[in-house]
Amino acid sequence: MCLSTVYKNTMSPETVVMKNVMRIQCKDGCVILTDLMERSVAVEGELLEANLVDGFVILRENIPA
Amino acid sequence: MHLDHDHIGSHDHDHEHAHTHEHTHDGVTHTHEHTHSHTHEHDHPHDHDHLHAEGAEHTHSHGCGGECGTCGEACAHTPMEELTALMKYMVGHNAAHARELAELAVQLDKAGNHTAYEQVMAAVSDFEKGNMRLSVVLQSLQ
Repeated sequence: MCLSTVYKNTMSPETVVMKNVMRIQCKDGCVILTDLMERSVAVEGELLEANLVDGFVILRENIPA
Repeated sequence: MHLDHDHIGSHDHDHEHAHTHEHTHDGVTHTHEHTHSHTHEHDHPHDHDHLHAEGAEHTHSHGCGGECGTCGEACAHTPMEELTALMKYMVGHNAAHARELAELAVQLDKAGNHTAYEQVMAAVSDFEKGNMRLSVVLQSLQ
């Protein structure tokens, strides 16, 4: 319903991946984010938490071995 | 982190090229045209997977480096374009919230609390007035 800010691993200004995210898709081990301007970013990892009331999402990034 | 692009073909050479991007935002389509002069591994038409607001995933072919995040111009929007898009979103979003509040008010009325219904509907009216003011600003931006 509302746009979200997506963070990586922890929620801090330094870990913001994308703001004004309107769509999140999980596909082939990636979390694909799309913002209001239709820019897409894919993060290899998984969804850790989505707080739809406060408008934030936290991803866990998979670090390649 | 990487962009969601599928690339076809890869080799290294210097180049300069111009191309256009056509984007659609909330039903408004516009085109960006820009020129690059730089070196990177490849620059031939290739496919991009783009995910659009309508929910449709499809592929564009164009000749940029493929990674919009590494190309300063490729998919850049001006700050004003971004602010306008955000304003447009907010106006629509507020209207949706106003409708939800009106539905909530009806539920309160059905539950027997007519006073709460009237108060919420008065709040909805105030909310809509504020949103109307925002929509006037939006029109001035567009």
